[in-house]
This record gives sequence, structure tokens and C-alpha cells, in this order.
Amino acid sequence: MSNTQNLLIEIGTEELPPKSLKKLASAFKDEMIKSFNEEKLNFSDANWYATPRRLSLIINNLEVKQEDKQQQRRGPALAAAYDAEGKPTKATEGFAKSCGVSVDQLEKLETDKGTWLAFNAVIKGKETTELISAIIETALGRLPIAKRMRWGDSDVEFVRPVKWVLILFGTDYLDCEIMGITSGKESFGHRFHHPHAVSINAPENYIETLKKEAHVLVDYNERRTLIESQVNAIAEENNGIAIIDPDLLDEVTALVEWPVSFVGEFNSDFLKLPKEVLISSMQDHQKYFPVVDTKGNLLPYFISVANIESKNPALVKRGNERVIQPRLNDAAFFWERDLKHGLANHIESLKKVIYQKQLGTLFDKSDRLQKSVLHLAKPLNIEIDQAKRAAALCLCDLLTDMVSEFPALQGTMGRYYAEADGEDGQVAIALEEYYQPRFAGDALPTSALGQCLAISEKIDSLVGIFAIGKAPTGDKDPFGLRRSAIGLLRIIIECNLDIDLKELITNAAANYPTDINSNNCIDDVYHFLMERLRRYYLDEGVSPDTFESVLAINTSKPLDFHHRLTAVTEFRKLTQAESLAAANKRISNILKKSEITDIKQVNDNLLTEESEITLAKSLNEYQKRLAPMIEKRDYKSALTELAGLRENVDNFFDNVMVNCEDDATRINRLALLNSLSALFLKTADISKLQS
Amino acid sequence: MSQDNKEKEIYGTCNSFQELIFELQKYWSAHGCTIAQPYDMEMGAGTFHPATFLRAIGPEPWRAAYVQPCRRPTDGRYGENPNRLQHYYQFQVLLKPSPDNIQQLYLDSLNAIGVDTDTHDIRFVEDNWESPTLGAWGLGWEVWLDGMEISQFTYFQQIGGLDCKPVTGEITYGLERIAMCLQDCSNIFDLVWTESNGHKVTYGDLYHQNEVEMSRYNFELANTDSLFDWFDTCESECMNLINQDLPLPAYEMTMKASHAFNLLDARGAISVTERQRYILRVRTLSHAVAQAFYESRESLNFPLLKK
Repeated sequence: MSNTQNLLIEIGTEELPPKSLKKLASAFKDEMIKSFNEEKLNFSDANWYATPRRLSLIINNLEVKQEDKQQQRRGPALAAAYDAEGKPTKATEGFAKSCGVSVDQLEKLETDKGTWLAFNAVIKGKETTELISAIIETALGRLPIAKRMRWGDSDVEFVRPVKWVLILFGTDYLDCEIMGITSGKESFGHRFHHPHAVSINAPENYIETLKKEAHVLVDYNERRTLIESQVNAIAEENNGIAIIDPDLLDEVTALVEWPVSFVGEFNSDFLKLPKEVLISSMQDHQKYFPVVDTKGNLLPYFISVANIESKNPALVKRGNERVIQPRLNDAAFFWERDLKHGLANHIESLKKVIYQKQLGTLFDKSDRLQKSVLHLAKPLNIEIDQAKRAAALCLCDLLTDMVSEFPALQGTMGRYYAEADGEDGQVAIALEEYYQPRFAGDALPTSALGQCLAISEKIDSLVGIFAIGKAPTGDKDPFGLRRSAIGLLRIIIECNLDIDLKELITNAAANYPTDINSNNCIDDVYHFLMERLRRYYLDEGVSPDTFESVLAINTSKPLDFHHRLTAVTEFRKLTQAESLAAANKRISNILKKSEITDIKQVNDNLLTEESEITLAKSLNEYQKRLAPMIEKRDYKSALTELAGLRENVDNFFDNVMVNCEDDATRINRLALLNSLSALFLKTADISKLQS
Repeated sequence: MSQDNKEKEIYGTCNSFQELIFELQKYWSAHGCTIAQPYDMEMGAGTFHPATFLRAIGPEPWRAAYVQPCRRPTDGRYGENPNRLQHYYQFQVLLKPSPDNIQQLYLDSLNAIGVDTDTHDIRFVEDNWESPTLGAWGLGWEVWLDGMEISQFTYFQQIGGLDCKPVTGEITYGLERIAMCLQDCSNIFDLVWTESNGHKVTYGDLYHQNEVEMSRYNFELANTDSLFDWFDTCESECMNLINQDLPLPAYEMTMKASHAFNLLDARGAISVTERQRYILRVRTLSHAVAQAFYESRESLNFPLLKK
């Protein structure tokens, strides 16, 4: 590599949004790399750093200038370049001038179409320092910022106001105009510990200098690891184990430049509240880490991370304790009030809450669910009364005080309140499982009743929202239907439920009043679900053609689909798979070309060649052997078995001419191929498999 | 050192609610703010005061600070909750255009009222503000003092549907919360409002009865039929006044409509779908007022620009 230097860029800002800090910093790096590549500036590696008040990058071994480029410019044709007297024409002079040379300095370019005047220019590569300002501005302009803001009297827009910019290239401080700020020679330290400037003498010393002189741990991952170990150590000192949610750890990391963790306490009377309420109060509202004992029971402690080595840490601790107290007081108040009210007493009030303008109230939804669960009660082997009760109650907790204060606890509170009201235990569990899976990778309902309720809810939403024309488009999915669809499919497949999607959709559609015209969307919902099924499998690493081979069978039972897909995936690992797939493709082409619509049974008397006699015979045997396997949906064994046909099939194609002169023989051979293909199609259309 | 003296040393000088207000007024006055007075109408937040909502519109510079009593009927707890009130105080600061050192000015104000920023854990935590009724939004933070939200800090981007240029920086101090920290007090009603000759007047002395009675009125007795009518009246008056080129009285009608809506909400008289519709109706008024106010200032050639 040519002459290189390390480059440090630090954009100092007012406090950045913690939930997007990591994304911003890494996008900054990616965009810078993209720009360096576009400008053909090579470097060895790049790293991002971030705190609440800075986005930084270090690019190692960056070329100090672009390489020179050769560029040939073609001028007028030689024949037209000079007039009768041999003087250059105006066009020729113009061309020379535009190249910055005299006419006699132009060269001749000979091609098979004639000779031209030309100029071979050397384009000087630009210095990195000339380009850097535009590169940074472009990268910052491309950051994924949901809402940009302006400040003061400026027209500059960024995620938060920019305070300083430092660009250090080797030992040179570059003078650039970035986001309305002239870059300087200094960084700044921690807001309170070191509010003044810090000088950084080389990009290599950036991290250490900020750490040693300025109370700033600029390395995000180092800070994250430090917080994690501080929190764990404090939990251990208090004979507990910290619950560290990775997202919360990220958020806390993005809220401090100099983490100082400490423990606080709350009144142990609050431990009588549902665990989830306490955890939510600590995590969501206060960004605290909860602490449990070895049995998983909460302890009356929280661990918080301050951004300061306080002159009086006891005050910081007390202040934090003063905040959690009223929050838990509120929670206790809601808990008592909700318990007194009773869950079932909210049923009437569901009539007052709109679910969706055209689709009616929450009461209407609950009413539809009570009908939906009836269809599922039998296949899932659950009591109809239980199912109806669960459907009647599953939306009630939305009206409790606790859920209006802690929306994330919907379902969970339903379970607690149902238990307290003495509802059936299965019903109580189902009220929580109703919402599962809540996100990608979340646990599925474990109880049959929970599965029944969760499926009913998801299909009811899909059908209703599709019926009123609000199906997801592009990146718009305001009702989260993609997630619902994946959740629905996951429950059916991963919980082994023998449910037919078409029936499910049709039943759900029938629960809507006729003016919603829900019947019109049945096919759309079905196709939407099959597309989600494709996404589900492709995300799991299934290859697209494997999926296609099963899709072609048109099974509307996801579980059946799944068994077939697993069988094909296994089949593809066999050595015989490729040649059998090719054979099936060939058969499918031959049958298509034959244009015979009515293919009869194979007539053994018309078989003449040895290879076709053997194949016909083995087909007969296979049909008998496979029938019980297909019956049991043991597609895997069926396909493994069929792999044994490979030799006979290969022999057939090697020795037998299908399209022979004699019509009867030909048609009989087509019939033979057709029954071979049909045998495979009982599992999947393996002619779709690519080699 | 006695416990009391020690506390004083730690928390600084503002031992009473009224001193806290005095100190903030003194501090911001020293930083070029006009100390405006509370507006004499019910409002849900200091942002409704014309010194904020209207002055943030248009190109004229503006620096002001004031106390504003706020009413949020749904937050009433009959004086039984030590942390919730339906009537409380905000201290509002407006700096237009927002100066480069606005965060530092704020932090210095904390030191001025006795919050030592080398002792306490002060954090600016993302909080994006939006007022659907005012058709306004901005980006900024809530400020945490040892985990307690004590202020809102916002760079206004739009007000009444109009882009803010220049941008106003708004700082809203939650006075009760800050006083509770400064006085190390866990019940709002125990806050010392003032103390003279060993005689304490508490926040509860001034407002507890008010909380009890107003909660009853807000939740149980407010006449909803009249309020619905009143909302309609304010709405049509507002539009009339805008047609007469009178944005200031029109804005008062907007505030009245907004408060009527808040009361109806507290009475549970507005269904979920209706709620959205009422918010949109108030927003329509805010937009019209903002536009009319801008035009009225323009016709006066934006007088504050010349100063």
C-alpha cells in the first residue's frame, strides 16, 4: 500500500438517543467505508466508538491520496482535423484547448475505423485531505435518523445539535466545515468530571487519552462489558443474581460516558406484587437492573448505573430510591384496585372500547373469538366451556389500571387477575399465552387452550384487517400482521397441530358481519400466509427450490407442509437425489409436450423392453409399500424408499425410447412415466429441485 | 454538624418553594430573560402560555421565563397520593433562537438553586415531545436528577403546524419535584412553601383542600352537557375571531376549548374514537391561530426583530 495514515473523526454532540446510538455509530462507519470505496481510497480497517455525546471513527492506514488515473480523450477524426491548407480546424483547436495543450501535442489514435486525434491525460489523484470533508458530510447525511432536528438559527439538520468536530489525520488536524461547525484540534471530556478540552495527539492514543485524562470510556463495547461486570459484582455482594436484559444493557451503555454502578433498596412489602410489575417498573421506567435470589425470587434491591463518581454517592442512591418508591406505590394501588374490581367485571366495558373503527369494539372481538375457539376445541382436544371462558376474558385486562400503566404486561396481568378471581387454572394460563409469541424467537403457548386462543386471535386479526383493505404493503404494517402470521404458523407447526389454514380462514371470516365482506379476502389471507411460510423457512436456511417443491403440492395444512419439507430436505442429502430430480424434470417435460390429457393405466402387455418391464414391476411394488407411509405422513421414509428407484429409472431412460413410432407403445410408456411421477408427487414435486 | 445543617450544605440554599422560584427568576433574569407572569387562564402545561406558544412562531427573537400553574384534571388523586396533583407549577424558560450553550445555562441554573452537579447524577435522556392539540413537536430530553425526571428540554421544530425558524429552546422545570429533592421530602404536601419565625407554611396548607375539592369536581360533578356546549361555543368563537384578524382572543378560545376537553376527558365523557376527533378539533384551532398570529406580526413588520 502507498503512503498511509490513521484517521480519527469525532463528532461531538448534545446527548444522542440511547436506543439508536449503536445503530448510528455503526452506520456512520459503514457509510464512511462506502464513500472511501467510491473514492478509491484504500485502508486496512475501521472501528466505530460512541458515547452519549460523541460518534467516533478510527480508520487505520488510510491512503493519503488517490492514485493517478490515465484517461484518453478522443478528438476529431484525423481526416477532418485539418483544412485544405493543412491548418488545424476550429474544432481541432478547440479540442486541444480543452485538453490544455497545443495542437502539435495531440497524439494520433489508430483504430480499425480510422485515425483520430487524441489526448492521453493523467488525472492526478486527489489528496485525501481535500476529499474528507465531503465524505464525512455525505456519510452523516445518510445516517438512519428517524427525525432530524434543527437548532438555533441554523439550517443544519442532525439527530441532535453538533458541538465540536475533531479530524486528526496522522498528526495533522484537518480544517473542515462539518454540520456548520469548523473542525478544531480538541476533543472534550466528561460533562462534569472534565468539562474542558482534551488534546489528542494521535488517532492511536484517542481511546487511552479520553480514558486517562477525561473520564470518558469511548469504546462502547468496553463500557458495556464494564457495566455488566460491575452489575454482576454488586449483585453478588448482595447475595443475589442480576437480571441483565441485553437491550437494557445497551441502553444503559448508551446513557453514560463513565459508568458507576450502585445498589439501591426498596421496601420489601412491595415484593407481594407480581414479579413482572416490579421488573417492569425497574427496567422500563428507571433503567435499573433487578436482582433475584438463586430460586429466581426477586430481592428488594435494584442496581443502577450513574454517570458520575459522585462527591456523595449516598445522595445519588437515596435520590434513586425516592423515585422507585412512588412508582411502586402507584403499582400497589393499581393492583389493589384491579383486584377489587375483578377481571370479569370488565366484560361489559369492552363495549366502550373501539378495536378498529370498521371492525367494532373489543367486545365484538371477544365475541368473535368465542365462536372461533369452537372450531379449534375438537382438534386441540379442549373443553368448550373453558375455551369460551378464556375467549370472553382475554381482552379484559386491557381495561385494568395496571395494564394502562404498564402496557407491556397485557396478558400477564390477565393471568394474575384470573388466578386471584378463582378462574380455572387453564383459563388463567391461556390469558397470558394468548399474546405469544410476542416477538421473533419468543416462546410459544404451551397449553392447548393457550394455543387455541392465540391462533384464534391471530387469524381473526388477519381476516378482519385484510377485509377492510389494510393489509401490509411495503414497509407499512401498522397492525403487525406479518408478525401475527409468523406467530400463527409457528404455533401450528412447532406445536404439532393438525390444522387446515383454509378452514381456519373460512371459519374466521364467517364470524364477521356480512357488511365487512370478509369472504372476499379468504384467498388473499391464504396467499399472505403461504408467503410468510416461505419467509419462515428461508430464514431457517431452507433453500427456495425445496420450498417450491412442496408448495406445488398445494397442501393447506402447515404441519403436513412441514413434514413434506423435512422429507425433501433429507432426500436431497442422498446420492440418488440429483439424478431422480433430473428424471422427474424430464418426465414432467415429456408429459407436458405429449399433450395427452387422459393418461390411462399402464398396460403390462404393451411393455416390451426389459428396462421398462423392470421399472413397471418395481413401480407396482413401491406403490404398495409407500401407501401406508403416505397415509401416516411419513414422507421421509417414502422419499428414502423412492431413492431406490434410481437405477431402474436411469436404465429406463438409457435404453427405452419413449416417443417411439408405435402409438400404443408410446402412450403406454407415457402412462408408465406418469405413474412414476405420481408416486413422487405424493410427497413433493421434486422436479422443482435445482441441481 | 447537625443533620439539618449537613443537608443544607449538600442541597444548597433553596429551602422553600418560594425561594426556588425566586432563585430561578433571578438566574434567568440575569441571563436576559423577560420575567413574564403566569397567564390567568386554565391550561395543561406552561407551553400553552402565549409567551411560549405564540412567541415561538415567526422570526422574532425572544427570551422569557415565568411560573405557570398547570391543570391536569385526570391527574387528580383527591389529595391522597403524595406525588400526584391536578394543579401544580411549572417554571418555563424560552430562549429563541436557542443559544449554543443552552445545556450549560440549564446546568448552571441547577447549581444556582443548590443542586450540585458534581454530587448528583444529572442525565439528559431522549424524550421527544409532541402536543397533538397544539399541532406542535420538538426533540430533546427529559432531565434526570438521580433517576428523577425534573425537567423537560425541547428544541421546538413545529408549532401550530408552522416550522420554527429560528428554533426556540424550551426548558420546563417541574418545581414540585425539584423542591422535593432539595428539601429531601417524600410527600408533596409536606413541602415547605415558606418559613418565617419558625413558622412553616406547607404546600399542603395552600393546596390540599384544593386537591380534594377539585378532584371531586373534575371527576364527579363537572356538568358534561354544559362542557360539551362550551367546547362548541369556544370553537365557533375562535373561528369568528380569526376571521376578524384577532389571533390573541382567538387563542384564548383555543385554550378554553382545550381545558373543556380535559375536563370532559376526566369525567370519562369522551369515548376513545371521539377523543381523537376532539383532539383534531383543538388542533385545527391551534393551526388557525398560529397562522393568524404569524400574519399579524408580519403586518407589523416583526417589531422585535429591530431590537
